[in-house]
Amino acid sequence: MSGTVFPVDPGSVPDAIGARRELVRRSARRSLRRRRIMGRTAIVSCTVAVAVSLAPLVALVAYTTSRGVHALSWAFLTHVPTPPGIPGGGISSAIVGSVIIVGLGAAMAVPVGTMAALFLVERRGRLAGALRFGADVMTGVPSIALGIFAYAVLVGPGSPIGHFSGLAGSFALAVLMLPIVIRASEASMRAVPRDLWEAGLALGVRRSRVVRSVVLRGALPGLVTGNLLAVARAVGETAPLLFTVLGASLVVTNPLQPMGALSLTIYSDGTQAYPAAQQIAWGTAFVLLTLVLVLSVVARVASARLNRQAR
Amino acid sequence: MSPTLLEEIPPPRLTPIGGVREALQRRWARPGGRAYAVLRWSGATIFAAIVLGLVVSLLATASQAFGHSGVSFLWSGTYNATKDIYPTGIFIVGTLITTAVAIIVAVPIGVGTAAFLSELAPKWLSSPLSVLIDLIAAVPSIVVGLWGLLVLSPVFAHHVEPFFKAVPLLEWFFHGPAYGPSMVLAGTVLAVMILPTIVALSRSALTSVAREDREAARALGATRWQVVRTAVVPGARTGIEAAVILAMGRALGETIAVAMVIGNNYSLPHSLLSPGATLGSAIINNFGEANPGLDRSSVVGLVVVLLGITVLVNVGGQLLLRSRLRTQRAAP
Repeated sequence: MSGTVFPVDPGSVPDAIGARRELVRRSARRSLRRRRIMGRTAIVSCTVAVAVSLAPLVALVAYTTSRGVHALSWAFLTHVPTPPGIPGGGISSAIVGSVIIVGLGAAMAVPVGTMAALFLVERRGRLAGALRFGADVMTGVPSIALGIFAYAVLVGPGSPIGHFSGLAGSFALAVLMLPIVIRASEASMRAVPRDLWEAGLALGVRRSRVVRSVVLRGALPGLVTGNLLAVARAVGETAPLLFTVLGASLVVTNPLQPMGALSLTIYSDGTQAYPAAQQIAWGTAFVLLTLVLVLSVVARVASARLNRQAR
Repeated sequence: MSPTLLEEIPPPRLTPIGGVREALQRRWARPGGRAYAVLRWSGATIFAAIVLGLVVSLLATASQAFGHSGVSFLWSGTYNATKDIYPTGIFIVGTLITTAVAIIVAVPIGVGTAAFLSELAPKWLSSPLSVLIDLIAAVPSIVVGLWGLLVLSPVFAHHVEPFFKAVPLLEWFFHGPAYGPSMVLAGTVLAVMILPTIVALSRSALTSVAREDREAARALGATRWQVVRTAVVPGARTGIEAAVILAMGRALGETIAVAMVIGNNYSLPHSLLSPGATLGSAIINNFGEANPGLDRSSVVGLVVVLLGITVLVNVGGQLLLRSRLRTQRAAP
């Protein structure tokens, strides 16, 4: 290898080494120039990629906002929908429905998810590994499958409720949230230093008490963030609600009856050809988007604040 | 010790209260206490039961359709709403095409964005942009679908699709009338939806590459881009692959946004401009009207097929993620 770079016998030609050195230097300079050009091209194309990826995302949010703000009014938020063809009307039934459905779903998913996360934290071995893997795979299950599952278990003929109901939607959303809650809670509980567990146990405190007042308290910021993000995800879901809660144009507070939901209003009004219906869809989309973004921001801010307090 | 001997020893006399107390003490002296153990186990059991219930109930509902047409359900299917038979194969092809379009569009852009955010951008720019993309990842799919249907679809019909038709080599993929709702529009909407996922996951894979690797490449005289190409990207490769696969799972399983923009045409697509259907959109559009019996069972059969595909893809992605974590932990 080195023989190709340096002549074997430097004595035969007087300035062979110098000539060689000059050659190497020149080719290095050329290579550097080429590498620089390549690097610059790559950096420019990455920058273009950022612009291309941000453009549709920002356009989507901006357009929804600009259309939605026009539809928004106090009456829009507090009135029930009018029959098709009659102007005006609002989305109060959808707002109330979404809040109740998601609230009930979270009330099911958060306790069960936290308990399952404690199981994963306390136990190692094959069983816990399988459960953890199951939770990870469950986060990727199509949400429509959860809706059809809830239909089969709670809505369809021969099931306990037997007709469309808000509760069936809550169940579908709870199944959707469960794996997210489990994994986020487990991660935040694991982040509590082992020393704190051991200090508590060394004091002779019962394990359940250590978990309650040391682990759960220490993991609180993470638990809050994880649960809020799960709720934010559930609020925006449509497919699990389509065949479970059905939709309603009156304010319904009984979860055993069919209910409205924000996402269902967007779907049913947005797919109509009438500008008035589309206007309502944009307004509802803006309300939903605001709700989801506020939940995500609150989740992050809350965890940052709680973290600071914990220190 | 023989049993007879044991019987001869009189049991210790306990006052009833003392006995109860002792029993209680024994019970609560277990690590953690019984109530706590019951709590943990019931959480795990409920979750396992739900996963099992999901699979069993869907399989049970679909068993009629599977029993009716056997393995051929996967291509010819049995679904009939108005005595028309819609083969499952069409939906599977539609699902694969839209997902492929989404991946082809989103992966280069997404990984490029991730590389920019993690390696090339200054911190004052990269951290707000990352937060922005994380927030946008939370945008509900129904809102993306609405935007795709009412905003993107006219743009595609009048500008984008005619443009593709005019490009010499691409016309093989893009021919026929440009309606707007089409395979390519559905794929684009999916790409918008999976982009934040790809960016977030690949960014975390890129940033977790060891600092020493970068410094070693820099010390060897690599330019900034060469550091990224020769040291960072190879180190993050499994992570990026996992990001792509998990995003693919999301694109395969998306239903509502696709149903809004794909045009719902139940014939084999001959071009990316033709409207089509995916498994998800077919489920959404047919489950409500399906009559109980074979009709509904066939639609649930589509759910089972979709579930099977996405679970397979997700298992692959999770295994990749895990292998990355393991190799990282193994490295000194």
